[in-house]
Amino acid sequence: MPRLVRLIWILLALHLALGMIAYVHFLLTGQYVALDLYFWALGPLFFLVMTLMEFCLAIVCRSWFDSDEPMRLAWGMIAGAALARLAGALLRAASDGHLPWGNWHLLSRPFGGLFASLSQLAMVVGGPLSMAFLAVGLGRVLGIQRKFRLVGALTPGDQALLVLVVAFSVSQLYINVPLLWKHPSLGTMLLWLSDPLLSLLLVEGILVRRTVIRMGQGLVAKCWGMFVLGIVVTSAGDAAIWASSHGLLSDSMTALSWYIWFVAAAAFASAPAYQFAAISLARRDLSPVGARR
Amino acid sequence: MNLLGIWLARFRRSNLAPAPLSNSPLEAAPDSGLDDLKTRLNHWSQFWSSENESSTHSEAQQVVAERLGRWMERCFGQHVRSSLPGATSQISMASTTPILTAFLGRRATRELSRRILQDI
Repeated sequence: MPRLVRLIWILLALHLALGMIAYVHFLLTGQYVALDLYFWALGPLFFLVMTLMEFCLAIVCRSWFDSDEPMRLAWGMIAGAALARLAGALLRAASDGHLPWGNWHLLSRPFGGLFASLSQLAMVVGGPLSMAFLAVGLGRVLGIQRKFRLVGALTPGDQALLVLVVAFSVSQLYINVPLLWKHPSLGTMLLWLSDPLLSLLLVEGILVRRTVIRMGQGLVAKCWGMFVLGIVVTSAGDAAIWASSHGLLSDSMTALSWYIWFVAAAAFASAPAYQFAAISLARRDLSPVGARR
Repeated sequence: MNLLGIWLARFRRSNLAPAPLSNSPLEAAPDSGLDDLKTRLNHWSQFWSSENESSTHSEAQQVVAERLGRWMERCFGQHVRSSLPGATSQISMASTTPILTAFLGRRATRELSRRILQDI
């Protein structure tokens, strides 16, 4: 495993270990004090570190492609997605008053009332905007993989999953479109795009997964595999929110489901770290001419 | 206007006058230099495409193919060879360079090629 990837997963393991202490405290006492403290202080810090790392690595990966190479645009879009997630995490932390200069929560309706709150703006930037960037980037990657005939044929299981994803998107549109007559804010309408965009990402994820299975366990394959993991875990987190809002999860299960977002952040940060490892392996200084092999 | 046209035609003729043959930079190269160039080009095209008809470079080609295979496995995975064009024949620089360039970038592929061919 490349050094940076190992660092990311060690950080995640340490972070989750601390989180589990807070969770066990919650299970034993039934009080949210330790959980609140953990998700108030360490949670945003972890997101900031992971998204910053993802953004920096994606920018480095982008810089290693020339301007006429198609992967430059793909990595540019992935860097854009990471930046949007970073900006979302910063805005969220600021709106919650986590940062020293975070008094922006006093702004009741930022940007002329287009967004209900700063927190909603943070959700739009870190959610649909970031997903749109990632969808364009992955679309570009799929185009390149298709050119090399790396995209494998879909199995019946993949096809069933695709049908499920499309059906879910259509059902969400069916629920949300009638709400347009109630004149929701721009922020609310943009947040409705989360599910269709996540569905699109899942479709792309299924296709990329086929490619990864076809290629094997190399660094580039693992890079795209990590994006798929990130998308799948994000979908699981989204499903947990939906189940929790419909009363399908107990309090303890709801609290446990919050940890899933840290895994998604680590997976998204690991993806450019694998690409970085692959390129730096190829670009490492030439060793002195010696014996063959 | 007519005067200007005549002057321009004369100017062009004077500029486009052919250079004397004795000063031509495209003089025939000596036969030995041409043969040397031909040998080198043949040598590199054999590495590039692995379509080897003679057995003189087979060992070196084998080394290139092994190294390429190892790099492809490290970068992409153990099954990637099967999806390359001409998967049934021996792996070559020609078959792997497009995919390496697409996913690692032109500069990284150039350095990788130098690493693969460095002592051959």
